[in-house]
Amino acid sequence: MVRTVALAFMIIALLPVTALAHGSTRQKLTETVEINASPDKVWEVIGNFNDMSWHPAVAKLEGGDNMVDATRVLTLQSGGTITEKLIKYDADNKSYKYEITDVDVKVLPVKNYSSTLSIKGEGDKSTVEWKGAFYRGYMNNNPPPELSDEAAVKAVKGVYRGGLDALKEKVEAGG
Amino acid sequence: MTAHGHLRRRWAALAVSVIAASTTCAGDEPAPREAFITNQSGQSLSIVDLATFKVTDEIKIGGRPAGIALSSDGKLAFVTAPEGNELVIVDAITRQIIKRVMMSGGPLGIATHPSTGMVYVADLYAHKISVVDPDAGAVTAEVAVGESPSGVAVTPDGALVLSADRDSNEVSLIDTKMNERIGRVPVGERPFGVTISADGRRAYTANVGSNDVSVIDIAGRMVIATIPVGRRPYAVALSGGRAFVTNQYANTLSVIDTGTLKVVKTLAVGDYPEGIAADPARSYVYVACWFDNVLMRIDTAKLAVAGEVEVGDGPRAFGLFLR
Repeated sequence: MVRTVALAFMIIALLPVTALAHGSTRQKLTETVEINASPDKVWEVIGNFNDMSWHPAVAKLEGGDNMVDATRVLTLQSGGTITEKLIKYDADNKSYKYEITDVDVKVLPVKNYSSTLSIKGEGDKSTVEWKGAFYRGYMNNNPPPELSDEAAVKAVKGVYRGGLDALKEKVEAGG
Repeated sequence: MTAHGHLRRRWAALAVSVIAASTTCAGDEPAPREAFITNQSGQSLSIVDLATFKVTDEIKIGGRPAGIALSSDGKLAFVTAPEGNELVIVDAITRQIIKRVMMSGGPLGIATHPSTGMVYVADLYAHKISVVDPDAGAVTAEVAVGESPSGVAVTPDGALVLSADRDSNEVSLIDTKMNERIGRVPVGERPFGVTISADGRRAYTANVGSNDVSVIDIAGRMVIATIPVGRRPYAVALSGGRAFVTNQYANTLSVIDTGTLKVVKTLAVGDYPEGIAADPARSYVYVACWFDNVLMRIDTAKLAVAGEVEVGDGPRAFGLFLR
């Protein structure tokens, strides 16, 4: 055992300093909006993975369909792009889940991002929920401020709030 | 470690080996009474009473706790805190933190030895397994393994420690007497959790990258089956001839028949199911759902959700969390 310890210490001595970084932990965020419209009506607007015209930050969408593994490429008003893949689609429960497969951290400062958009409600009341799980844009220790946990949460929150609030306005104005 | 401690551990080990030898049928194993759930976002440890299925205590840990293991006598809980870079030792009876042991990089997966009581901690960033003597509260050996070891498990006879070396796509086999790596087995992509069968013959890894489970013949040091499961599998629990796999992105459990090595059912559970542990005596498995902040109870006979209890924020419960 003594030999192992000695060997281990030699190995530690040889490791670069970055090996001591502890990395980041996964963040999560949930945003909701209440809409004065039936869940069916809201689903008509957001239920198509191939249509994000309801989100004001999205300028263009190129994509496939509502089949699992469909990929869409969003071009944002700011010019950046985000590539996303559908990983779960449940029309009965008005819910779908997708992940980001490619994004520059300058566009959205996150890594390993997955998200679920779903609608609950009855009659003429709906609650739309947008949930995300992600790591910050810088996976190692001591991230620069623009790639911190706080920056990641703030950016995703901005995307969700911007989308949900615009969706409410659009649907309540009559779609 | 005291002589008395040694003796107690030996007795516990003997008891465990007798139980292990006599049980293939569920029912004679003592049923666990509590679950110790690490809440990463909430930075705490929730203790769930399994009889009432309610949280009885929540202990502040800090450092974004993730990994969990219990001593074989159930008296000590070991928690890894990756951001605090610590191993936190908790008295499972009094619910007090006894020691905080400083680790060297990013402690994550953790397992205890059934007879010596030694604690094995995988270090994701320092690429090694640290061996901690809990009585001394100190690291006594370090074993270099592959890249980013995540899950660890000890064979029931205590001879080997297995580590899932995530970024090497391999499992390392470590001899616990010599504290040396004596073998490595290539598995699927990005193995995270590793679980060993009660007879010590097989190990199962959940491969986050390739969305499958590798089944390892430990003596033969080879993969004997690769089983496709749901998206982003995290960990595996074994009970009643079945393997239960948490699929983080799919929000499901894949249920595998360990005889035919085929998926027999896919069960919907909460969002981001992660840590999973089995109570074969009562035919339950317990699943921590990271996004939903619940511990779910699954009836392994009916293959149905049998209840849930709210725990702290962001439960990961990565390890054998029942006692």
